[in-house]
Amino acid sequence: MTRPVLEVRDLAVEFDTENGRVRAVNNVSFSVNAGEVVGLVGESGCGKTVTGLSLLGLVPSPPGEVVNGEILLDGHDLLKLNEVGMRKIRGGEVSMIFQEPMTALNPVLTVGYQMTEVLRLHKSLSKRQARNAAIEMLGIVGIPVPSKRIDEYPHEMSGGMRQRVMIAMALSCGPKLLIADEPTTALDVTTQAQVLDEIVRLQHQFEMAVILITHDLGVVAQTCQRALVMYCGELVEAAPIDSLFASPRHPYTQGLIRSIPRIREHKIDRLPVIEGMVPDIAALPEGCHFADRCNRVQADCHERSPVLTPSAEAGAVACWHPLEPQHD
Amino acid sequence: MAAVPETIVFVAAPPRQGLWSKAFHKFCRDRAGLVGLWVVLLYAIVALGVWLGFWAGDWADVTGPKWGPVSAQHWFGTNLIGQDIFARALYSTRTAFELGLVVAVLSTFVGAVFGAFAGFFSGGWIDELVLWFMGVIDSIPFYLLVAAIAFSLGDSPYAMYIAMIATFWVGTSRLVRGEVIKLKEFEFVEAAHAIGLSELAIIFRHILPNTFHILLVQATITFVAAIKSEVILSFLGIGIQDGMSWGLMIAESTIEVLAGFFNNFIAASLLMFGLVMAFNMFSDALQDALDPRSVR
Amino acid sequence: MTKPLLEVRNLVKHFPVRGGGFSFVRQQLKAVDDVSFTLLPGQTLGLVGESGCGKSTLGRALLRLQEPNSGQVFFEGRDILQMNRAELKAQRRDIQMIFQDPFASLSPRRTVAQTVREPLDVHDIGTSLERRKRVEELIELVGLRAAILNRYPHEFSGGQRQRIGIARALALNPKLIVADEPVSALDVSVQSQVLNLIKDLQLQLGVSFVFISHDLAVIQHISDVVAVMYLGRIVEQAEVSSLYASPKHPYTQALLSAVPAAHPAAGAKRIILSGDVPSPISPPSGCTFHPRCPAAQAKCQTTEPRQTTLHNGDYQRQFTCHYPLGS
Repeated sequence: MTRPVLEVRDLAVEFDTENGRVRAVNNVSFSVNAGEVVGLVGESGCGKTVTGLSLLGLVPSPPGEVVNGEILLDGHDLLKLNEVGMRKIRGGEVSMIFQEPMTALNPVLTVGYQMTEVLRLHKSLSKRQARNAAIEMLGIVGIPVPSKRIDEYPHEMSGGMRQRVMIAMALSCGPKLLIADEPTTALDVTTQAQVLDEIVRLQHQFEMAVILITHDLGVVAQTCQRALVMYCGELVEAAPIDSLFASPRHPYTQGLIRSIPRIREHKIDRLPVIEGMVPDIAALPEGCHFADRCNRVQADCHERSPVLTPSAEAGAVACWHPLEPQHD
Repeated sequence: MAAVPETIVFVAAPPRQGLWSKAFHKFCRDRAGLVGLWVVLLYAIVALGVWLGFWAGDWADVTGPKWGPVSAQHWFGTNLIGQDIFARALYSTRTAFELGLVVAVLSTFVGAVFGAFAGFFSGGWIDELVLWFMGVIDSIPFYLLVAAIAFSLGDSPYAMYIAMIATFWVGTSRLVRGEVIKLKEFEFVEAAHAIGLSELAIIFRHILPNTFHILLVQATITFVAAIKSEVILSFLGIGIQDGMSWGLMIAESTIEVLAGFFNNFIAASLLMFGLVMAFNMFSDALQDALDPRSVR
Repeated sequence: MTKPLLEVRNLVKHFPVRGGGFSFVRQQLKAVDDVSFTLLPGQTLGLVGESGCGKSTLGRALLRLQEPNSGQVFFEGRDILQMNRAELKAQRRDIQMIFQDPFASLSPRRTVAQTVREPLDVHDIGTSLERRKRVEELIELVGLRAAILNRYPHEFSGGQRQRIGIARALALNPKLIVADEPVSALDVSVQSQVLNLIKDLQLQLGVSFVFISHDLAVIQHISDVVAVMYLGRIVEQAEVSSLYASPKHPYTQALLSAVPAAHPAAGAKRIILSGDVPSPISPPSGCTFHPRCPAAQAKCQTTEPRQTTLHNGDYQRQFTCHYPLGS
């Protein structure tokens, strides 16, 4: 069995808001193996981005605070590191790419300057060496004529190009783990396809682990080996992709898969929906947070909170009355 | 219309506060701002009392000796000709409030209207005209402009008011113009066009209400600026023409200070300092509380 | 044959842009370039394309929120572009719009009631009491409770705000609604709720829609006829099932295959286009798609393809390609 690169145990993150202290991430545990692409899926406000940020110690504080848990990278707890130690990890062993390629790059500095900065910081390369390494990296992520484009400013590039630059920067120090937060959401479909392909190819080439944070189950289906589904700050289901899509165990996962408009062979009149809406995180219902919207709800769901329990086929589900696994 | 069987009927989100009350609660958590507000209110009560004739009615009367010391009868002493400095300082509070309010309200109003039109029609001739006009006013030194207006109005007591309004609206106008240029790209403005609303109605009903937070803060800033300018203008002799003000008191005190009598000078400066300081604290807190990024 | 509700002929919208740096040479950004289509009453036209293809500009040009440079837009036989102010205002009753951003499309300092009622006020419809009743009807029609009418927009979630926007668009009983990406800013589970609402309303009220989206799955679900736009032009136009089953234009095919399959098993062979969408200021010669087209040939670089029209029962099928697929 492969050793996990990252192991997260009982992570809890709280935020101070105008409506009091809220728990944005609660009791989240998962692991990521080397060379694995794991999708972290959920709707906005479900805590997926906060989970990603907390892995790098980037939760804005105040108002945020990691109140509990361990984040083990190769067995070392990142939460015990001080700011200096954390800075060595960021961009070195773990790096992150963000949703908005327009704002993630500094508009007044050339792409080359921003790329070499990372390299010189983490790898103590000379200026010339760093530049060459940056050009090579840009070539690897599929930017044509990298020796020319390295001197361009971010605004001279298209959205897809900028996201490639972000990926090149993230990968330039050979991280063990890449966290990609909605990397393709701001891009067009055709560009999204290009960038996703690139991430998968590079993941093989660099043998790194990837956590892909997204709201788009289609993206997950296409790129990930395993998926973690979050709802209201908690993991509700974790499963390998094939079984997740073929036989989701949690009613929320099932609802999510069903309700997404997708291209079908035959048009249907009405899309299946999950009734109601995501509850306010400051006023979560008792028991299972999904109970009010669930089509399998029973009396006990409102009383006790389900915990993530391992189920068949290497998955886990947090539900008192999960759907039966289907074998076909 | 028939019932819709298949649409889901939502339970609306739990009741929350309105925009203003949210801002109010945020303001209440700012200590410095609250202190500022209370001090400003105290000054306002003093000014109101003067205006209603409760106190300081005798500011112009000679009630004591020349340069009388601080006493139970004359809390701040008396001046060169034996007038009560405390009464004069209180009366000046009224002058300051009158000036501040009139200038703040009118210049903010003018600034808002011009700014909104310039911003809404940005790039067009209205915008060019307003910008040109603002440029012209900006390029005239403020004190020269006051002197010129005072001269042309034949020493009218309103010269200073007019000069201040004519100058201070420009800053507000530039801010409002920028905000309106941003706001008019919002889809709710397009939505208003789409239902057939006229441009005037869009400006006044949909756009200007969304600049209220800027206007409120600008008004407080203008208020302070007016009070401070009055001191210098009165000192130069082109400010308050009849009545009493802190500026006039300081102007009076120049002879006294040379003779070693500081009561007049200190009373006027301290009262002005207190009001300006309190107003600035209030204004800062107001700005934070109304910041739309946190209110949204 | 039914008379079309909307007929657009050779619509053009160019934006002047200044050249880079200190150059004052005016260039033209061809946002909408010679676009024609027709829409029958009660039908939905899906307008699909990538960002910058001109689909939003086209939608706004139909309402004259952007003044088109040339062309004709016939609504029930009358050319909207020829109307004067008063006629246009009257016309606004029949054509309404739903916007993309539920946070930007409602005036923040106006209550729900004020927002939904405003169209009735502007066009002076009914008495005050009738207007209030109508507003309550509308708000229930879109799945909200009348109790919320005195709330402000910031108190609602994205999906609820979008419903309020829909209620405002329906207030005047329009015959056509232009919906610009109405669900793309919403969460997935809310998206399908709002899509279902739009479909219900269409069945119930018989409104026609021009539905603009970048999402091919949404377009397939909601549309009767689909027009695919690329660089300001409609490159393919067909009835929805035939377009999705057998695209004629290589761009349509590439778009369809780029959509992530919502199932890992459905691993169809994907066509990944190289490069980015070219700038609409200086579009490529010949067929504007040729630099990215997997099937491009020499002719495509030099000669602009002409529109081909196939008749297929009630529907027409149009595409602009020298070498259409499956022929």
